[in-house]
Amino acid sequence: MAMLPAAFSLLSDYTEDYAWFPDSASTFAADSDWLYYAITAVCIFFFIPISICLFYFAAKYRKAKGEKAESQVSHNTPIELLWSIGPSIFMVGMFVMGARAYLDMRTIPEGANEIGVQSSKWSWSMDYGRGTYHPELHLLVNEPVKLTMQSSDVIHSLYIPAFRAKKDVVPGRYNYMWFHPTKVTEKVSDEELANATKITEESATAWDYDKWQFTPDGYRFYDLYCAEYCGQDHSQMQTVVVVHETREDLDAWIKKYSSRGSDTLEAYGEKLYARRGCIGCHTTNGTSGTGPTYKDAFGTTRQLANGEKVTMDENYVRESILVPKAKVVAGFQPVMPSYKGQLSDDDLDSLVAYIKSLSANAETTSEADAEATPEENAE
Amino acid sequence: MSAGTVRDPGFPTERENYLTNSKGILSWMFTLDHKRIGVMYLIGVSISFALGGLLALAIRLHLMDPDGWMFRGADANNIYNQVFTLHGAIMVFLFIIPSIPGALGNFLVPVMLGAKDVAFPRLNLSSFYLWVFGAVFFVMALLSSGLDTGWTFYTPYSTTTDTSVIMATMGAFILGFSSIFTGLNFIVTINTMRPPGMTWFRMPLFLWATYATSIIQVLATPVLGITLLLLIAERTMQIGIFNPEFNGDPVTYQHFFWFYSHPAVYIMILPAFGIISEIISVHSHKHIFGYRFIAYSSIAIALLGFLVWGHHMFTAGMSSLTTIVFSALTFTVSIPSAIKVFNWLATMYKGSISLTSPMCYGISFIFLFTIGGLTGLHLGTLATDQHLHDTYFVVAHFHYVMVGGTLVAFLGGVFHWWPKLFGKMFNETGGRISAVLVFLGFNLTFLPQFVLGSRGMPRRYATYDPEFAFLHQMSTYGALLLGFGILVAFITLMHSLFRGKRAPANPWGGATLEWNCTSPPPFYNFERAPVVGDPYDFHDIEWQESDERYVTVQPERKLAPEADPSKSPAHASHKH
Ligand code: HEM
Ligand SMILES: [Cu+2]
Repeated sequence: MAMLPAAFSLLSDYTEDYAWFPDSASTFAADSDWLYYAITAVCIFFFIPISICLFYFAAKYRKAKGEKAESQVSHNTPIELLWSIGPSIFMVGMFVMGARAYLDMRTIPEGANEIGVQSSKWSWSMDYGRGTYHPELHLLVNEPVKLTMQSSDVIHSLYIPAFRAKKDVVPGRYNYMWFHPTKVTEKVSDEELANATKITEESATAWDYDKWQFTPDGYRFYDLYCAEYCGQDHSQMQTVVVVHETREDLDAWIKKYSSRGSDTLEAYGEKLYARRGCIGCHTTNGTSGTGPTYKDAFGTTRQLANGEKVTMDENYVRESILVPKAKVVAGFQPVMPSYKGQLSDDDLDSLVAYIKSLSANAETTSEADAEATPEENAE
Repeated sequence: MSAGTVRDPGFPTERENYLTNSKGILSWMFTLDHKRIGVMYLIGVSISFALGGLLALAIRLHLMDPDGWMFRGADANNIYNQVFTLHGAIMVFLFIIPSIPGALGNFLVPVMLGAKDVAFPRLNLSSFYLWVFGAVFFVMALLSSGLDTGWTFYTPYSTTTDTSVIMATMGAFILGFSSIFTGLNFIVTINTMRPPGMTWFRMPLFLWATYATSIIQVLATPVLGITLLLLIAERTMQIGIFNPEFNGDPVTYQHFFWFYSHPAVYIMILPAFGIISEIISVHSHKHIFGYRFIAYSSIAIALLGFLVWGHHMFTAGMSSLTTIVFSALTFTVSIPSAIKVFNWLATMYKGSISLTSPMCYGISFIFLFTIGGLTGLHLGTLATDQHLHDTYFVVAHFHYVMVGGTLVAFLGGVFHWWPKLFGKMFNETGGRISAVLVFLGFNLTFLPQFVLGSRGMPRRYATYDPEFAFLHQMSTYGALLLGFGILVAFITLMHSLFRGKRAPANPWGGATLEWNCTSPPPFYNFERAPVVGDPYDFHDIEWQESDERYVTVQPERKLAPEADPSKSPAHASHKH
C-alpha cells in the first residue's frame, strides 16, 4: 500500500516524500525522463500479460494429481520466431534513442563556461578561476557549463540527480562533463537566513545543509553526490549546486569568496579549513582522523614515518600543505592531496594562523617568536 | 489400473543408499562420491548464505535511520563499509556462484545423465576443499582487519586502503580454482560419460544449463585470477598497472574485472534457468515448450555474456564509440533470456499443474526474474543509465536477478530434489508458506529501491538525506519478512529429515533419469542401466493412488507381425 503514493505522484516535487524523480533542472532531464518512461511503458506492456498468464495458467490448469495435461505440444516454430523477433524491435528503438541522447550528453558545446573540479577523499573543490575555490558548485541558468575534473586520490563520481548527470572522476586523467541548467534555485528571505545564521553561530557548529535546506548564503540548492564508493566517508562526500539567475548575482557570490576581505587571518583560516576540505581528515578536538589532529599540534616535535623528527613550525605546515608527501607523520598514510597552486600566500598564512591558534602552548611560543625574531635580528 | 509393465524401483534398502552405505565422518571427508560432495557443498553454501544474510540484515537495520541506526560512534561508517563489502563478497563468491553448480550440480549431473559419477572424482573432492580453503581466507579477512573495498576491489582504492585486501583476494583466487575444476569436470563428464541413447538433445535442460555455465567458468575465471594477482602485485610491489601514481590506469582494472565478473553473472543465473525449466515442466506434467530454443539460448547467453562487460562502465569515461557498442551488445543478450520466460509460460499452458512448493518457487522466479530482466533495459539504455548508474536502482535490479532469480530458483531446486537427496518428503504447507513469505518479503525489500534509485539515492551510503528515509524503512521491514520466510523454509526442510515420510522414487512424476533410481539413490546411482528417452515425455507416467506415488507404465506393445523389432534401436523412445 505504501508504495502507491510513490507510483501516483510522478510529477510532484522533489522535496516531497513521494516523488519519483528529483527536480528536472537541466536540459538532459527531459530526454532522460522521457526515455525512462518510454522504457517503463514497454516493460509494463510485456510484464502485465506475462504476469496475467503466469497466475491465470497456474489457477486455470491446476489439476488433481495424475490427471493428464490437456496438451503435450512441444514447440511451434512460428510463435517462437515471433516472440524472439518482436521484442528485439523494441530494443533496437531503446538502444538508438538512448545512444542519441547520450551523444548529446557527451558533446560539449563550444563556449561553455568552464569550472575546474578537484575531488579528494571526501570533499569537492570547485575552481572558479583567479584563485577562487569553494566546495559549492555555483552555475548560471541557461548557459552551458563544462567541468574539467580530476581526482587526487581514488575514483570518485560527480552525480547531480536533478541534472540526470553523472561522471566518474578518475585519478591520473581528466574527465569532462557538461550540462545546461534550466531552473534557478531560489533565495530565501533575509530574516530566514539571519535566523539560521544566528542559531548556527550560537551552537558553534558547522552549517547544517540538511536542516536548513539552503546554503549559508541563503540559496536553495540541488544535491551533488559522490556516486563511486571511495572509502570511509563516501556518504558524506556531498555538496550542493546553486543555479543563479543573473551573471551579476553569480559574480557577486564568486567575489565574496575570492579573498579574505575584512576577516582576521585566524578567522579566515578557520573558514578555509572547512571550505577546502581539511576538515575531512583533520580534527580540531584531539582525536586523529585520516590525518593528525590540529589540536595542540603546533610547536610540537613530530616523529616522521622515515624515522626523522621535525618541529611543527610555520615552514613545516606550509610544506605539508603544498607537498604533503615530503614529511609524513609516523602512523599515517601518505594520502593527503597537494594544494599546490590552489592557495594564495594569504590563504596559506591564514591556515597557518588558524592551526597555531589551536595550540595552547603554540600561542605563547609563537607570539614570543613573532616578537623575538625582529629583536634577534636587531641584535 | 492400466495394462502394461510397471517400472518403479521402490524404496532403497538401508545398505544400498549413498547416505548409509558407509559410516563415520571420515567416510564423508574422503568420499569420492559426487552425491556426498554435493551434500557437503549444500551445507557449506548454506552456512555462507546464513552469514551473508545476517550481514544483509545488519545493512538494512543500519539504514533504518538517515544518520545510521545500527552502528554508532566514530567508526560507524567504517563498520558499515566492511559489512556491505563482506555481504557482497560472501554472497557472490561463497554463495551464489558455487551454490547451484556445487551443491545441486554435483549431485544431479551424473544422475540425470545416467552416469555413475563425474569424470574426475578426485578433482571433484579437491574442488570442494579448495572452496573450504577459500572460504577460510575470507573469514580470516573478516576477523583480521576487515575489508572495505566493496566486492569489486576497485583500484586505486583497493591498492591504498590498509584493510586485508590481500587476504580476501587470495581467497577469491583460490575459490576461482575451485570453480574452474567444477566446470572442467562437468564439461568432461557431459562430453564423455553419456550412456547409450543419451544424445545431446535428450539431455535435460538442467544439464544444458550446467554445460553452458561450465564453459564460462573455465574460460572467464582465469581472467579474474590473473587480475587479482596483478592487484596483489600492485599493492605489494607497486608495479604501476592500475595505480596512476605509478603511471597505471584504474579503468584498466575495471575492464579486467568485469571481463570476468560480467560472465560470472551468468554463472549465477544460467543454472537457475536450468532448474526452472525442470520444475515448470515436471510440475505442469507437460513437455517443455521449445526445448531447442531453450538449450541454444543457454549457449547463446554464455557466449554473448563475454561481450558486454563494458556496460558496468558507462560513466567511467570510455570513448563514446566504445560505450555505444557495449550498449548495443548488452541488448542482444536480453533476448535469449526473454525467450526463456515465454517458453516457460507456454509450458504451463494447458498443462496439469500441481502447486507444490517447488512450483510455487518456480512461479515466483518467473515473476521476479522478469522484473529483474526488464529493469535491465533502463540500465542498458545509455541516456538513462547516466542517471541510474551506482544508485539503488542498480542494487534493486541485481537483487531481482540474483536473489529473486538465483536464490529463489535454488530454493525451488532444493525443494524439488530434496526427496531425492535425502529420501524424505517435507511438509507441503510449510514449503508453500515459505515461498509466499519469501516472495512478499523480497518485493517489499527491493521494489522501494527502484524508487530510491530513480530519485537519486546513491548506493554504498552509510548515511543519507532524510527525504529517503521512508523508502529505506520499508525496505528494512521487507528484509525482516524475507529473512523470516527463509527461516520457515529451513525449518520445513530440517523437520522433514526427522519427521518426514519416506520419499518414493518419483514423488512429482518427472521423466528425467534421476526419478528412475530410488530416493536416496544407491551408491552407484542405478541398479540397472537406465532406459533413456525423451526427458520431458510424461505419457507413461501414472499416479498410483493406492501407493501415493508416480510410476512409469510401459504399455504392452502389440507389434504388427510384419514389424521387425531388431530394426529399431535398443534405446528407442516412443515419440508421439
Ligand atoms: C542471495 C542473496 C544475495 C546476494 C547474492 C546479494 C548480493 C549483493 C551484492 C553483490 C551487493 C553489492 C555489494 C557491494 O556493492 O559491494 C549487495 C549489496 C547489498 N545487499 Fe545484497 N545480496 C543478497 C541478499 C540480500 C538481502 C536478502 C538483502 C536485504 C535483506 C540485501 C541487501 C543489500 C544491501 C542493502 C546492499 C547494499 C547496497 C550497496 O549500497 O552496495 N542483500 N548484495
Ligand atoms: Cu568520493
